[in-house]
Order: sequence, then C-alpha cells, then structure tokens
Amino acid sequence: MRAFKNGLLLPLGLLLFWYLVTALHLFSPYLLPSPGTTLQSLGELCASGALPHHLAISLERVFSGFLLSCLAAIPLGILCGRSRAFESYCWPLLEFLRHVPPLACIPLIILWTGIGEASKLTIIFLASFFPLFLNTYSGIRNCDPKLLEVGRSLNFSESTQVRHIQLPAALDAIAVGLQLSLGYSWRALIGAELIAASAGIGYLILDAEQMSRPDIVLVGMLCIGIIGSLIDSIFLNVLNRLLPWRQKAGDAHA
Amino acid sequence: MLSLSGLSKSYAGKVALAPATLTFADHSFTCIVGKSGCGKTTLLRLIAGLEAPSAGTIALTGTARRIGIVFQEPRLMPWLTVAQNIAFADSAAPHEDPARLQKLLQQLELTEAASLYPRQLSGGMAQRVSLGRTLYYDPDIILMDEPFSALDYFTRRSLQLTLLQLYAATRKTILFVTHDVEEAVLLGDRVLVMASGAIQEQISINLPQPRQAVQVEIQSLRQRILVALSERSSS
Repeated sequence: MRAFKNGLLLPLGLLLFWYLVTALHLFSPYLLPSPGTTLQSLGELCASGALPHHLAISLERVFSGFLLSCLAAIPLGILCGRSRAFESYCWPLLEFLRHVPPLACIPLIILWTGIGEASKLTIIFLASFFPLFLNTYSGIRNCDPKLLEVGRSLNFSESTQVRHIQLPAALDAIAVGLQLSLGYSWRALIGAELIAASAGIGYLILDAEQMSRPDIVLVGMLCIGIIGSLIDSIFLNVLNRLLPWRQKAGDAHA
Repeated sequence: MLSLSGLSKSYAGKVALAPATLTFADHSFTCIVGKSGCGKTTLLRLIAGLEAPSAGTIALTGTARRIGIVFQEPRLMPWLTVAQNIAFADSAAPHEDPARLQKLLQQLELTEAASLYPRQLSGGMAQRVSLGRTLYYDPDIILMDEPFSALDYFTRRSLQLTLLQLYAATRKTILFVTHDVEEAVLLGDRVLVMASGAIQEQISINLPQPRQAVQVEIQSLRQRILVALSERSSS
C-alpha cells in the first residue's frame, strides 16, 4: 500500500505541473491542451462510443498478435532450448530477424500482406515474438542441472525429464517472456495502426494529429498507458495464481 | 548385495578414485568418511550411475535392484508442494498411493507442512522432504551424500535419529557419505575411512542404537578414525 502511495506521487506531481503550466498560459493550447480540455475530450469520446470502439479494435489486434506469438515462440523456444542441432539451423536466421526492427519491415509487409488486418497482426507478432522466444529458450536451456540429475537418479526417461522437470522449471522464464511480450505487443500497436488503419487507438492518435487535436492525442496516449498497465497487472495476478510458487517468500520459515 | 570390483575414476589423468573392490551386504548401514576431495562423493556418484567409471564394475545381486540417492542439497522442485515433491519420485510411472504418502509424511514429521512450497521450508525440513522423495521411490539401496552437512547441530541430530528410525523400520541398505567422523560412528555399522581416493581402513561397529557421542566406545572410535585421517593427510 505504501509503495502504491509512493507510486502515485510522481503522476500527481506531473498532473499538477501540467495544470499550472496550462493555467498560466505558458504554452499555446494547440501545443499543450489543459487537463480540463483533455478530460472533456475523453468524456465526449466515451459518450459518442468512439473511444470504446477504437479500444476494442486495438485490443483485439493486440491479443490476436500476442496469441500468434505465443503459438510460434513457445514451441520454437522449447525446440531450440532442447536440441542443439535444431538451434544450429534456426539461430542465425532468428538472430538476423531479431535485429531488424518491425517498423523497418512495414514497406515489405504492406507489399506482401496488403493493408488489411494481416499486416497489423504481422507487426505485432514480430514485435512480441522475440521476448517470448528468448525467455522460453533460456528457461529450457538454463534448467538447473542438479534438478535434471534428480530425474536421472529416479530413472526418468528423456520425455519424463522434459515434462516433469525442464518444462515446469522453465515456466518462470516463460511467464516473464509472456509479460514482456504482451507489453511489446501493446507498444507495437501504433506502428501497426500506422498502416492505413481506419480504426484503433493508433488511428485515433494519428487522425487527431492530422486534425490538430492534441487533446485527443493525449487521450489516446493516456488510454494506451493506463490500459497497458492494467493489462499487465491483471496478467501478473493471473500468473501468480496459476504459478503460486512464484509469489514472494514473505511467509518463509526462519 | 552391492559389489564393486576394481571401480575407479580419473578426470583428465587425475585419479579421483583408485580401484576399489568392496561389498555392501543387504540391510547394512555403511558410512564413508573422509576429508573433502578424498573421492567419497565420486564413489557414490559412480554407484548411483550419475557418472561412468573409468574402469571396474558395479553389480547388484540378490534382491537388491533399485538405487536411490539423497543429495547434499535438498534439490526440491520449487513448483511442487512438499507432498508433491515426495510423490515426484513416482512421476515416471504414477500410481498414486495416498496411504503410503501420508505414512511417509508422518514418519518425517511433515504432515502439517504437506502443502507448503520449498521456499517456505527451513533447511532441515527441506532435507526431510528430499529423504522422503528417495524413500517414496522405494529403492533397495539408499546412497546419501553428506545430506545433513549444511544443518545446525540440533537439526542434524534430529534428522540422524529420524534416519535411524526409518532404517530400523525398513532395513534398507544405506551408504552414507560424511566428512563428520562423529556422525559416521554414531550412525554406521561399518565405517570406511577414505583418503587420497582410496579406502584406507574398514571399521565394524557393533554398538546398539541409539548411540551417544559421549559413550567411551564412540569417543575411542572417533579418535581412531581421526588419527587414521591425519596420518594419511600428513604422509
């Protein structure tokens, strides 16, 4: 609770600073609208249903891209982590792709997949794939050899070792990868919605920029930040319930 | 019966275990004592099949078929509770036996901790769970690699007594490696003294359990082993 209170101090300070700067007319409202104007725009966008509409579309894109990432990154991470031969085939290509920013791929993505949903999903997929893949890979590869030795001492077969030791031991790292990957998906949204989008929070921000409505740009940015944090905390909560041993050891024995 | 014949191990030309020929009778409790690096853990790891010998053979004869090991560290699976960690030994071919699990938890005084995770356990409790996992595996021979060395005196003593009770109840063959001479003479019915990768002396102990560290016989055996070990290290 104390940490929560501490965490509120800076945003409240910024809000106050924002209010004072605009109340004293230090900047033109075209450059920095006041918190009141921004709040009013938020209310209007909500009342008209525009904001929920854009949000729903963006969320659908984020989760679809994230899901695709999970389906590809986790199995590939497990395979690379388990098999050095498989890793030797895949690693150079993956290493190359990892260093190419998804935004640099936009022209080719449009050329290959058009300007529909597929191009947006591809951008989100590319942005969220590597954090999850690399965490899954390192979770599998860095499994404590002492735990694997326990399996050997109990006469476990290779497949039993994987199912009962290597995979559960990698769950912590996979969970971190999922969390990072979800964050990256959300961050890639604007990039994805740069591509001829007609809806979504990214589109809302770009459209507002072209209409010279910085208040709506701010509403969009606030939405992305707040909803991103909210999704992250819900996700962490779910993870802690699913993986109870991850919780901090506040109740450890002396 | 477990028989070793000319069993040896070298790492990059350096001898870790000189050829050892030994037998361990069924239901015996043998302690292997020696300083760090004398080859006692290597011997245990070879018997457990965790390392391949450079030469020699290991043979199990009679009814003994299965070998289990309790490591120096508990090596519990952090994602499993105490009860699940014990039953973990069964993961290869699960056949749930709640009654046996409950009995083990009771014998190891872990009933109330059954649903705790390893991070919530003290060192002594974690080592009890580790012992429970090996017992649940139901081996004929239990190898123990300095399992109590990281514990304080009172916890160590309590675990030694638990081990003796379990030994009396199950009569499993035990090979117990330790660097603590007192622990070796308190627990074993035979003590193998190791130095420089070789068995230097074998001492049989025919004293009833539970033994006390203050017993004259225990003191004199302890002294004898300590002298043997210091002679070997100075020669």
